[in-house]
Amino acid sequence: MNATAKTCLIVDDSKMIRRVASRILKDLSFASTEAKDGRDALDACRGAMPDAILLDWNMPVMDGLSFLKALRKEPGGDAPVVLFCTAERDVIKIAEAMDAGADEYVMKPFDSDIIESKFFEVGLV
Amino acid sequence: MSNQLSLTPSYYEALKRLTLELAGVELGADHTFLVETRLSALARKEGFDTLSQMIEELFSRGQTRLAVQVVSSLLQRASRFFDDRKGYETLGDILLPKLHKLYSGSTLRILSYGCSSGQEVYSTAILADKFSHALPNMPIEITGVDFPSWALERAKTGRFTHFEVQRGLPIRHLIEYFDRDGEDWVVKNKLQERIHFEDHNLLSNPSSLGKFQIVMFRGNMKHYSDPAAARIMNYLSGMISADGYLLLGSNEKFEKRSYGFKISPIAPGCYQKEAQSKVGAPPKIAGGTEPDTPTAELSLPQAIRRGHNAA
Repeated sequence: MNATAKTCLIVDDSKMIRRVASRILKDLSFASTEAKDGRDALDACRGAMPDAILLDWNMPVMDGLSFLKALRKEPGGDAPVVLFCTAERDVIKIAEAMDAGADEYVMKPFDSDIIESKFFEVGLV
Repeated sequence: MSNQLSLTPSYYEALKRLTLELAGVELGADHTFLVETRLSALARKEGFDTLSQMIEELFSRGQTRLAVQVVSSLLQRASRFFDDRKGYETLGDILLPKLHKLYSGSTLRILSYGCSSGQEVYSTAILADKFSHALPNMPIEITGVDFPSWALERAKTGRFTHFEVQRGLPIRHLIEYFDRDGEDWVVKNKLQERIHFEDHNLLSNPSSLGKFQIVMFRGNMKHYSDPAAARIMNYLSGMISADGYLLLGSNEKFEKRSYGFKISPIAPGCYQKEAQSKVGAPPKIAGGTEPDTPTAELSLPQAIRRGHNAA
């Protein structure tokens, strides 16, 4: 792992999505870690805040929106750039995510071009 | 559907000639796969069972409409929202404020020359809307023109796929300016109201479109043969008002001639019109097609007949 690489925490209950996203982020020179739900992700962030978080919405234990609201209250929790990455496409839901402190929003399904474009949008690539 | 032998070398050469004559664009020698892919998609849309059938129809009957569709498909570029960001920064930070001093109380006209599937036009409209409060009393009208094509027809509908709207378009712009319609997203009326599209052969005289204060012709020059690029530049120079600007791609610049624009760009790829420019007559295009002929009345390109003979 490159010590100077930016870090991204991938939060999704689907192992396949985590694997695909991890591969894409590796191509963008990110060092990625994974969490399977919001609670795991919050624990990980308390250990070390990543530069970016790719965040699913619907997950067991703690969903993405609850995680985001909790994260932003943590010390240093305003620092990570958070990109929702979810199958939710309802405009009201998207607005809710942005109002809760998300920086960008990826609608599934996605491809590498979309991830790169969204990371460019928030100044990460 | 098998297209293994659809593009014989003679047909490929004929398509190269057709593209040069109709559009002034030189296809590379090794783009067979790309050509087959794009024309196969067009063949399906046009209702042919195979690409071979469409090619036969094109070169045996010489349909002008089909020829234009074929060439348009071959020229179609991957387009994304807010592509080449520097150009939009120039537009918003420099050009619109400068022109507001001159055009407050009037309508500002922007042209996207070669607008493909419309992302540049809609991105510009979003930018214009964002600046409308800072630059009041200057309605901005945006026109997109390109060869008649499926891409342009899609642009007119303002409908984009789930994948297209995620390439270059910030999510806040998406929910502000688009409505979701099933799997697609459709541009809202408040943007559509300031936009219109027209079919236009880019090598034809565009004087009927009127004058514009800003013309965007970004990332296109490299595709054209030298005579075709010179013809287009002369036309664009003629349609930009005396106080107007030409916006090329941020990495594009004039090499040999400045076509009536000040030689030094005011920002990357952005050229201001000379106060009193003298523009030369448009050059002839290789192949001898008369580009002034309106698209709807294009005479049958000789390349079709030659292609038929060659095949």
